[in-house]
Amino acid sequence: MEYISENRTNIPSLRNPQIPSRPAERKVHLSQLFAMASLIARSLVLNSRRGVQLTSVRFANKMMADPMEHATGLEKQELLSKAAGNENPFDMRVYKRVSGDQTNPTSVPSFYERRLVGCICEEDATSINWMWLEKGESKRCECGYWFQLADAKPMV
Amino acid sequence: MTSSHGHHAFHLVDMSPWPLTGSISAMMLTTGLVKWFHQFNPDLLILGVTATTLTMIQWWRDITREGTYQGLHTKAVTIGLRWGMILFITSEVLFFFSFFWAFFHSSLAPNVEVGSCWPPAGIQTFNPFQIPLLNTAILLASGATVTWAHHAIMESNHSQAMQSLGITVFLGMYFTALQALEYYEAPFTIADSVYGSTFFVATGFHGLHVIIGSTFLMVCLYRLYKCHFSATHHFGFEAAAWYWHFVDVVWLFLYISIYWWGG
Repeated sequence: MEYISENRTNIPSLRNPQIPSRPAERKVHLSQLFAMASLIARSLVLNSRRGVQLTSVRFANKMMADPMEHATGLEKQELLSKAAGNENPFDMRVYKRVSGDQTNPTSVPSFYERRLVGCICEEDATSINWMWLEKGESKRCECGYWFQLADAKPMV
Repeated sequence: MTSSHGHHAFHLVDMSPWPLTGSISAMMLTTGLVKWFHQFNPDLLILGVTATTLTMIQWWRDITREGTYQGLHTKAVTIGLRWGMILFITSEVLFFFSFFWAFFHSSLAPNVEVGSCWPPAGIQTFNPFQIPLLNTAILLASGATVTWAHHAIMESNHSQAMQSLGITVFLGMYFTALQALEYYEAPFTIADSVYGSTFFVATGFHGLHVIIGSTFLMVCLYRLYKCHFSATHHFGFEAAAWYWHFVDVVWLFLYISIYWWGG
């Protein structure tokens, strides 16, 4: 595979000993100008055909790992989950209460036997009412809404 | 996949001895300083410095293991680390604010004891357009190179990231070397009136922070070499870059107020 060598033999004064090396003495002939221009043109044409990623050996250094390949453990599960379309793999959202009376309490998912629940009683409430919710028994917040604990299924 | 993790986004850390060794070594550092000052014996201080260094190495090594090798640094955990670094740098800003307060307190209304003028009578100050100006250029350039390194990492350009971060570290060390030379050649000492006190305490703590920042960047250089970072997850590097920019900004304030206005 041909590639443009960027080594020193492209410098006119070194390739051709008849060209004086002091800049003041150098006269650039028209043919040399054409040679230089064609070299540039060839380089552009060849490179555009091969694609920017392979432009020349000097630029083949996108050597860092793909972030998905690089990740491991829980972080990777999170990334995979997001890639699959689940923007909320750890279920961090604020739940909306249902009608919430004793016969129809709001279900709060948990992996354990009890979970801390915070009720935002009304929209402009300045504090959250926190309470422990045990498995089996429903609980009522002071604002009147009821909660119960339900088994959670893993989302990640 | 089942795990004992509990399916939440957070990192509940394992038991670790480093908080205990850290507090013991901090005690040895402070008490050792006092013992050195008053009894001219640095042994406890040296022990404290060693213990602190070992604690730091092992604590941060463990964080690297948890984040990079175990994958425990989810998005939520990284956000927590970001806030932690922001709060820490803010506390450092307040720390330097106090030294600038001290400087302006003494220099805006100079005592009769220093000659009612600033700089005090007899103090030969540094020419701000010599080494201090070079140091300013060095730190500004290092701010640019560290930003270059960040962009290189985000574009998965490993070799450029190594080069630019390497240049950043070199510039940091160059600054330290020049500043050490300035300290050696200074015509005044910390004991030379309130000028010496404010100058050396402010620039001295800044120099210490340059050394800390350079060390942090060097660790990042090593981690980059070992491919710990990915294009989207490299918070350790970002934290080092934030700290480095902070160090640069403090120097700019030091240069303008102490070296230039105060000279």
